[in-house]
Amino acid sequence: MKSRIFTAGRVFLGAVFLYACYDKILHPQAFAEAVYNYRLLPDVLVNITAMVLPWLELLIGICLVTGILLPGAATLSTLLLFTFMSALVFNLIRGLDVSCGCFSTDSSDGPADMWTVARDVSFFALSIYVCWKVIFGFREHHEKKDDLQPA
Amino acid sequence: MKGLAWQAPLLALAAVALGSCFNLLRADGISLRGDWSPERRFTDREGVSIVVSLEEARALFEKEAVSFVDARSREQYEEGHIKGALSLPWQEVETYFTEVSGRLEPDKTIVTYCDGDACDLSHSLAVFLKEMGFANVRVLLNGWTIWRSAQLPVEKTG
Repeated sequence: MKSRIFTAGRVFLGAVFLYACYDKILHPQAFAEAVYNYRLLPDVLVNITAMVLPWLELLIGICLVTGILLPGAATLSTLLLFTFMSALVFNLIRGLDVSCGCFSTDSSDGPADMWTVARDVSFFALSIYVCWKVIFGFREHHEKKDDLQPA
Repeated sequence: MKGLAWQAPLLALAAVALGSCFNLLRADGISLRGDWSPERRFTDREGVSIVVSLEEARALFEKEAVSFVDARSREQYEEGHIKGALSLPWQEVETYFTEVSGRLEPDKTIVTYCDGDACDLSHSLAVFLKEMGFANVRVLLNGWTIWRSAQLPVEKTG
């Protein structure tokens, strides 16, 4: 049962990343503008980030859905979601009405708000769970296996 | 866990390689280093800058040759706006466009504005108004803040 919950969580998180990267890959200029509007990166890093980030999301999504390179994918997923969440909160605190750019590059979706943060927090919590299970669940599994083996 | 040490950098490197290669091959690829100056960002569909300076906007205002359009929310507009400005919130542009467009005088320059350096509602609205047939549309960057700072006329509604 625990394993099924983990698998469902992992696949769902992977699907979220796949869904998130789709529009960004299709519209690189619009995504670069969304990145710029966060006003967190120096201008020189904006386009490079817009160029690479959607592909990193795609790779993380594929890995989480298929179950390959899980430790790396789950760790990067947690780091990315923490970064996104911090950027959103930081801009809300300093009063910048930026479009989230999380799943769509269309700025008419409206500015990010507390609901956007709550959604990111829930994805971040799920990612921590998946990461924990991948790294420590694997270790527990091996420790149990070692305990069962005759000395 | 062993894999972690190499898997995360591998995925990051693969993303850099994929992103760079795909960007080189695609027709609508972006330059490695973008120009994010206001003149470059706030352009019409043809790439021509539509930014108006505070001095120009002020001169137009004094000659009564400008219609200011506030792209912020109705609530923010009611709390205070440039004197004589019309409210056309970008987030509700479809609801209010017909009403507001009838009050825009075609012989005047339309200047859209919102608030803050990062606010691009005024730009989106300006591009939309141009597409709707208004030829002379400009954007006053960070309009509400710089207009107030210059102690130019403002008013409240509601």
